[in-house]
Amino acid sequence: MASAGETLLALGGKRTTGQSIRTQNAMAAMAIANVVKSSLGPLGLDKMMVDDVGDVTVTNDGATILKLLEVEHPAGKVLVDLAQLQDEEVGDGTTSVAIIAAELLKAANELVQQKLHPTTVINGYRFACKEAVRFIQENLALSTDDLDRTSIIKAAKTTMSSKLISTDSDFFAEMCVEATNLIKVTDASGKATFPIKAINVLKAHGKSSRESMLIRGYALNCTRASEAMPRKIAGAKIACLDFSLQKSKMHLGISVVVEDPSKLEAIRREEMEITKRRIEKILKAGANVILTTGGIDDLCLKQFVEAGALAVRRAKKVDLKRIAKATGATLTSSLATLEGDDEQFDPSLLGQADEVVQERISDEELVLIKGPKARTAASIILRGANDVMLDEMERSLHDALCVVRRVLESKKLVVGGGAVEAALNVYLDNFATTLPSREQLAVAEFANALLVIPKTLASNAAKDSTQLVAKLRAFHYKSQTEKENSHLKWAGLDLENGNIRDNKEAGILEPMISKVKCLKFATEAAITILRIDDLIKLDKVEKQQHDDECM
Amino acid sequence: MTMQSAPVAKASNGPKMGAFKDKDKPASVRSSNIVAAKSVADAVRTSLGPRGMDKMIQSANGEVTITNDGATILKQMSVIHPTAKMLVELSKAQDIEAGDGTTTVVVLAGSLLEAADNLLAKGIHPTTISESFQRAAHQAEEILEQMSSPIDLKDDNELIKLATTSLNSKVVSQYSWLLAPMAVKAVKKVIDLEHDDNVNLKMIKIVQKVGETVEESELIDGAIIEQKSMGRGGPTKVEKAKIGLIQFQISPPKTDMENQVVISDYAQMDRALKEERTYLLDLCKQIKKAGCNVLLIQKSILRDAINETALHFFAKMKIMVIKDIERDDIEFYSKILGCRPIASIDHFVPESLGYAELVEEIHTSSDERVIKVTGLQNPGLAVSILLRGTNKLVLEEAERSLHDALCVIRCLVKKRALLPGGGAPEMEVAVRLRNLAQTKQGAEQYCWKAFSDALELIPYTLAENAGLSPITTVTELRNAHANGKKDFGVNVRKGCVTDIREENVLQPLLVTSFAIKQAAECVRSILKIDDIVMAIR
Repeated sequence: MASAGETLLALGGKRTTGQSIRTQNAMAAMAIANVVKSSLGPLGLDKMMVDDVGDVTVTNDGATILKLLEVEHPAGKVLVDLAQLQDEEVGDGTTSVAIIAAELLKAANELVQQKLHPTTVINGYRFACKEAVRFIQENLALSTDDLDRTSIIKAAKTTMSSKLISTDSDFFAEMCVEATNLIKVTDASGKATFPIKAINVLKAHGKSSRESMLIRGYALNCTRASEAMPRKIAGAKIACLDFSLQKSKMHLGISVVVEDPSKLEAIRREEMEITKRRIEKILKAGANVILTTGGIDDLCLKQFVEAGALAVRRAKKVDLKRIAKATGATLTSSLATLEGDDEQFDPSLLGQADEVVQERISDEELVLIKGPKARTAASIILRGANDVMLDEMERSLHDALCVVRRVLESKKLVVGGGAVEAALNVYLDNFATTLPSREQLAVAEFANALLVIPKTLASNAAKDSTQLVAKLRAFHYKSQTEKENSHLKWAGLDLENGNIRDNKEAGILEPMISKVKCLKFATEAAITILRIDDLIKLDKVEKQQHDDECM
Repeated sequence: MTMQSAPVAKASNGPKMGAFKDKDKPASVRSSNIVAAKSVADAVRTSLGPRGMDKMIQSANGEVTITNDGATILKQMSVIHPTAKMLVELSKAQDIEAGDGTTTVVVLAGSLLEAADNLLAKGIHPTTISESFQRAAHQAEEILEQMSSPIDLKDDNELIKLATTSLNSKVVSQYSWLLAPMAVKAVKKVIDLEHDDNVNLKMIKIVQKVGETVEESELIDGAIIEQKSMGRGGPTKVEKAKIGLIQFQISPPKTDMENQVVISDYAQMDRALKEERTYLLDLCKQIKKAGCNVLLIQKSILRDAINETALHFFAKMKIMVIKDIERDDIEFYSKILGCRPIASIDHFVPESLGYAELVEEIHTSSDERVIKVTGLQNPGLAVSILLRGTNKLVLEEAERSLHDALCVIRCLVKKRALLPGGGAPEMEVAVRLRNLAQTKQGAEQYCWKAFSDALELIPYTLAENAGLSPITTVTELRNAHANGKKDFGVNVRKGCVTDIREENVLQPLLVTSFAIKQAAECVRSILKIDDIVMAIR
């Protein structure tokens, strides 16, 4: 009937319905998950991706891999979006979210083939997800008092364990926690937030990754405008400008007509004078460091040099905004005052820092703003052998920073290494048997789908995944049935030795919010795809060629 | 009535159809029309009811839509057959009139056409069929009205039940506990319960932002402004805000004609710069003088709505600036904020400003921000809803679903009567019409019978989509209705036939009666076509 309907509908495209589309969607999702599967876990490997221009990316980050894949299939796109969302909301767990969603879809597809109605499966999944989240929050989360600096560092280390920088994870974890603490902002209601975007991460070629450093201040990837300026200014007063200090140009619609050649010089001079007067005003206000997003004319540089000030041109606006925040300066886009027709630069617009200095790091010069007055700031300079590595380091560091922020904000941790998934599997399996309805099957499948995480972890580590996961489940079953063995709920995989161990002791920790969101997002994405029983693909409209154009 | 003139125009203007000959015999034209329309109906059938599935549509430019809403599916499908297009229009009409039941109406029309096809095969004249259908539809409307029960708009619980029924078939159904009360509250805010018999849905602004889950959506007791503030050191939070809404620009003026300012002396250069500053400063000062500290600026195409210098002034004056307000939204904002849109600086007076306790910029995700206005002093009949969702597809579908729910409430405001859902009204009408058919003479009797049979497709499809045995369910239901249990319907959750009112599955009278009326009318106009002439381009 479907094929007859197609022709009769006279659609400008293809239509797939029923079971075939469900299978197709599940296949597409699985295909995508399979791509990222081998990168999961501490012993997961990286992917190298080469795009059509020839740019190379080497990464272990699920979201980055998926973003670069250019997925065509619409259901596959949902999965890519999913990983992206997890990246934005949590920053970590992007690989797991895609794998779980695909596994859920696969399980659901099998259930539907066994003549279970998709809506029943959907209801079962929702139910299971709700129950799972509740279980995590009530039983698996580590309470706040257990939280100290070391456990935060452990959480950061866990994230980095799967990345390129895992060997130096001690070093980087320390750095991340330090940096995040530096940028802590307490708002009016007393709630602390950590805008990790404010951490400026710079990359510089050369040396080894161990040589990366944290700077308590702001590193600006620019050099001073002229070599004649001082390299170092102590007790800096910083002006942040959002306009050019160049010869002023007239607006469009204003034309200068000169009848007398002698006036020409006067006009030219006036052009210069306007800017000169502006600079004078800025210097008069006491500024000795001038940062601007625009350009500075060479002629004007002389003024700064004479005043012994340090000027930087063409700085990025985002950088200036952050510097302004850190030093207490105001980013000004004009010198105009409210009083009327004259221009002025108010000293209150200046920010302060202990020291502004230009330093040489590898073969690049950086302007460092140290000891800003209003707020602490943090910058991280990454060192590495090549660009590809630096990029990957930056991504890993970003993940770790996100994790640290999540932990600091939500103050809740869970144990990693497949412990949560195994515990949920055991719990949901038992829970399913208490349901007398058809949803039972779906809940049980949901539980099984979660096992994909420990299984993948084990097989990525070249361990016997079936044996290990069975062992792990046995531990968790014990912890949930026998009261005296409840400490076993921290049991997780030890991938180095192919054993089960107490992962709480071993310090494999993850923020709880990452796990909860991961489950929620994966379930929602699976449901979205599962509800589809019809795919209509419209043909691309070909542009009609006009005959007259040939003439 | 527009439906009747539509086929002629459609047929002649329709795009090229290679499949059609220039002229064809009336019988085959009719059957080709019917088959085309029926296939459209079949395409959307699987999305009917709480157990209906979604469709994924990838448009020509690669954009993907996932939806359960009949009108959206058909709109996106871009059918080519002129008669099939009529069904698309039909669903659009239902969307405009009732907002909900867009799938129902198309399924009904398809079913009626099938009935008509059988009647035609028996040799009954199309005009007879068409007229009998009209009378039957009229009768059906009366039956529905008798069946309906009045509703008190003050009864929130009842209204929430209705909205929940509408949301149940959508992907957001598990959030109906949140969205249904939200829809009810929103509609109640924008109407005057005693006097209004229509709802201007434009006054309910739904702002969609990706991130979080649908659970995080909220009805704002105040206004939400999609655009973000301009920053530049201006405030992001203003307490005791006085809000001005302007339709003029704060940038150097341009004359209509080409103009040229000529400078011949260096002293004039400075003045030219100064002049611009003074002009802007004057504008800013006047705005400040009126006491305004939050400024909304309408989007402008010809000139910059606001330029850097003016922003600088406003930042200094601690005025929050939000630009690019869409022209269509001006009415909404002016109503909800209680301010008057100001078209010229001369009219910028304190009286036209709105007042709010707090205007605040909130982050919805790392780089998305919205402005939230709360504590309005005299909020008008308007309300905002902030909708969240994990991805764009879910979010868009959530918006459509919420729109449907709002429309359902609107239908109740228009006509304060409700019906049980779950296929109960269709079955009741079918049973009653079948009885009435006995009193008719000649071919009309056949037609009425066919009409009532066609209506039974709705409960049939509901049962089918839920994985129940359609024949058993429909016969059981028919039996129940014949025995006078007129509130019985298909209970999808329990998988049997029960009193559907007790299950709180309710729908407005208007949705069903519109659906039957419009479907019948559309069928009539299709039946009346006996020739398709393709105009040669």
